[in-house]
Amino acid sequence: MLTLLRDLRRLRRDLDLRPASRGRSLAMRHVDAGSCNGCEHELTLASSPYYDLQRFGLGVVASPRHADLLLVTGAVTTRMREPLLVAYNAMPEPRRVAALGDCALGCNLLGTAENLVGPVEAILPVDIRIPGCPPAPDAIAEALLELIDQPRR
Amino acid sequence: MTVHSSSASYREQIAGALADGWRFANLHASSGGELVRTLLADAKGATRLETVRTEDRRAPSIVDLAPAAGWDEREAHDLHGVTFAGHEPLRPLVAHDLRLDRWTVPVRGHDTYQVAVGPIHAGVIESGHFRFHVVGDRILQLDARLFYKHRGLEPAAEGKTLDEGLAFAARACAACAVTNGVAYAHACEEALGLVPTAELARVRTVLLELERMWSHLNDIAAVCAGVGLAAGNNSFAALTERARRLNARLTGHRFLFASVRVGGSDLVLDDDDVRAARDEVAALRTDSARSWRELLFNASFEDRLPDIGVVTAAEAGWLGAVGPAARAAGLAEDVRAGSPRLAYEGLEPVVPRRAAGDVQARLEQRALELLQTFALLERLLERPGGRAVAERGGEERPIGIGRVESPRGATTCVVERRHDRIERLRLRTGSYANWPVVARAAADNLLPDFPLINKSFELCYACADR
Repeated sequence: MLTLLRDLRRLRRDLDLRPASRGRSLAMRHVDAGSCNGCEHELTLASSPYYDLQRFGLGVVASPRHADLLLVTGAVTTRMREPLLVAYNAMPEPRRVAALGDCALGCNLLGTAENLVGPVEAILPVDIRIPGCPPAPDAIAEALLELIDQPRR
Repeated sequence: MTVHSSSASYREQIAGALADGWRFANLHASSGGELVRTLLADAKGATRLETVRTEDRRAPSIVDLAPAAGWDEREAHDLHGVTFAGHEPLRPLVAHDLRLDRWTVPVRGHDTYQVAVGPIHAGVIESGHFRFHVVGDRILQLDARLFYKHRGLEPAAEGKTLDEGLAFAARACAACAVTNGVAYAHACEEALGLVPTAELARVRTVLLELERMWSHLNDIAAVCAGVGLAAGNNSFAALTERARRLNARLTGHRFLFASVRVGGSDLVLDDDDVRAARDEVAALRTDSARSWRELLFNASFEDRLPDIGVVTAAEAGWLGAVGPAARAAGLAEDVRAGSPRLAYEGLEPVVPRRAAGDVQARLEQRALELLQTFALLERLLERPGGRAVAERGGEERPIGIGRVESPRGATTCVVERRHDRIERLRLRTGSYANWPVVARAAADNLLPDFPLINKSFELCYACADR
């Protein structure tokens, strides 16, 4: 699937079909808001040789100041609510939020009400949703590539 | 099981057991804080439970006898309101929102200052806060404040049926999902008087070793990433990917989710499955040996590893280190060697020749254990099978215990039940046991070496926080 996407992107470039408004790279800041560590392990492999997300201009950056996209994993715990908001507020605009994985989307959450705030959209506007428990690296790659191909708002 | 009404006899029993070679395995309080239970285990897999009744939620501490119980007692205080006489100061562990001087160790002197890192880290890393007390680049003390990911999985499981409760243990952590699931299943089966058949033991052992295989490959990649060696990181990350694809081929899930259940297994391994798995395990053995050799001949990489993040055998012993971290310090302990409910007959713990308890030894330990895992998988996958059950083989009990060796070390699950409902669930994972050891390993090292030291343990935050 990734090979096909790459070929399509190359074809579009060769035929000069890309509108000037399309983005060419995306800097991402990852925040674990209370995951089981599954999404992190798959996200890590999305940068491994089999997928190599960097070749598409997608990279994880070390500060929210450098980020276009906030990539949030896990159901938001009570203790991660504040740090998550701090990271979001530190991002320059325009900024987007991706909810990565079923927990971030609010599916089948486990825990007690006092310890969980809920899905990411309970506290932040969510622009893209990447389902899966956890989503495999190719699913993560496809969702993010679709995002950079969207015209800018 | 004994319930002690006097503090003296509780402490006496535990002190005596420790002197006889038993090791501390777990401590937890009942939900209302009326009872405190300490679990001890020996090398053959036997367990004993010592319980003391609290008075006004006050219990005697055993932290002087077994320092490994430090986190357990602090957690029992924060979540169940039990205070421990003799454990002073009883610093908060799970409870946040407290003044800095309440949860950190005071460090005073010329030029000491603190470096605060997290809870959000600069990469794809789980959330947790580290507070380093340093002079220049030298770390004097590390206070780790975890539990940012605390979801309350244990209390949420209370009142659920034993079948429903599995998710609360297994989903605590993706990297230990099989271990936690099998530990929970063993606990329930012990409480229900059930014993796995040989086939059930074989299927579960296959799943546990598949989990160890991807996890150890990932850990070697992580150490390479920790020193910025992209080539090593990439080659072991690629091997990790192949191991996860094999998981998906055999169970339909890259992390083997939903492959464990209480009382049996629905997994079917047909001829094609086991043949494909044997071939891929053999290929991974060959390819990982080649990648490992590349690391051994990379002098600038090898130079970064010795004498960094040292934990001596004595420290590993009293801090209660488990798993590869303990074995790399020379403690030849492995729960697998005493696991009659699994198919590990004849397995002996391995330790590296140079068991120095440093980053190099912990890295080499993973490579040694991978060889064990490849051999185990090739033997266990010789024939097709699956679909197995546990059969009646003991008395029913109100409390069951499961102990399983995760890729990070001994994981203990205690299930207290009333009929078929969970009254109390406690999950103490290898990561939980080893976090205090990471803090000890960091002391006296340089701050820029901490990521490498941390990667050499590669602990989960999720299954410590629960």
